[in-house]
Amino acid sequence: MSQPGLLDSPETSLSESLDLPWLVVVHNDPVNLMSYVTMVFCRVFGWNRERAKKHMMEVHRLGRSIVWSGGREQAEHYVQQLHTFLLLSTMEKST
Amino acid sequence: MIFELSNNGNPCFSNIHPLLAGLLQAIAMDPWERYPEGSARLLPPPGVDEELLLDWQDLVQPELRHHFDLERSLVVEDLAKMHEMKRGKGKVDAWSLEIPLDHADSWLTTLNALRLTLVEEHGFKEEDLTQNGAPDFSSERGLALMQVNFYAFVQECLLQTMESAEGGGDGA
Repeated sequence: MSQPGLLDSPETSLSESLDLPWLVVVHNDPVNLMSYVTMVFCRVFGWNRERAKKHMMEVHRLGRSIVWSGGREQAEHYVQQLHTFLLLSTMEKST
Repeated sequence: MIFELSNNGNPCFSNIHPLLAGLLQAIAMDPWERYPEGSARLLPPPGVDEELLLDWQDLVQPELRHHFDLERSLVVEDLAKMHEMKRGKGKVDAWSLEIPLDHADSWLTTLNALRLTLVEEHGFKEEDLTQNGAPDFSSERGLALMQVNFYAFVQECLLQTMESAEGGGDGA
């Protein structure tokens, strides 16, 4: 009879090491209004205005902001949402 | 042009100069038809992963384009209701437009799409968009820049109205 505890642990850690999180990145775009970008962040991520403005300013000043990290499927969902609002966003694998 | 809220809280523009009324009517056009090169900006790639790019082209981009078309169709409905303001001897010298507040999202998306397309089509840089001074109406590029800035003004009016309606603001 197998001992699940002994077998499961290595499999889980291997799976976790291969499954690095995906990052959702929003890039600077001189066209989208700052107030619009703030509103979109509030809508898409459910953030309060303070947090949304912080990321908006990061995009504006640094050219990009990582707005979310996690599983691939959810990252795709967020990028699609951001594209719906015409924000320039991409997803990339965390290194 | 005067911006105010109507009695039922809708954003309302009145005394719109015929030139600006013409720019508003231009929002109805299909950016993919009018600006085939610039409209590429409306469907950006989601990253560099090849599998993701292919999936995006097949599944997501058609859905996004459909969404943009639907939003624009609501804007077209509102634009059809833009009406003339007759002042003195029945002469039409201004227009008025009321935007239902529940269409504000569609307007923001459609205005944004057109602004992005125009910027891409004419290769405007940040310094072009932030420059002060009299607009140059003598060139197609100058007119396009004026369009981009005018649509930004309309967007700002809508955003302020939405924020007030939601009880938002910087302190929220």
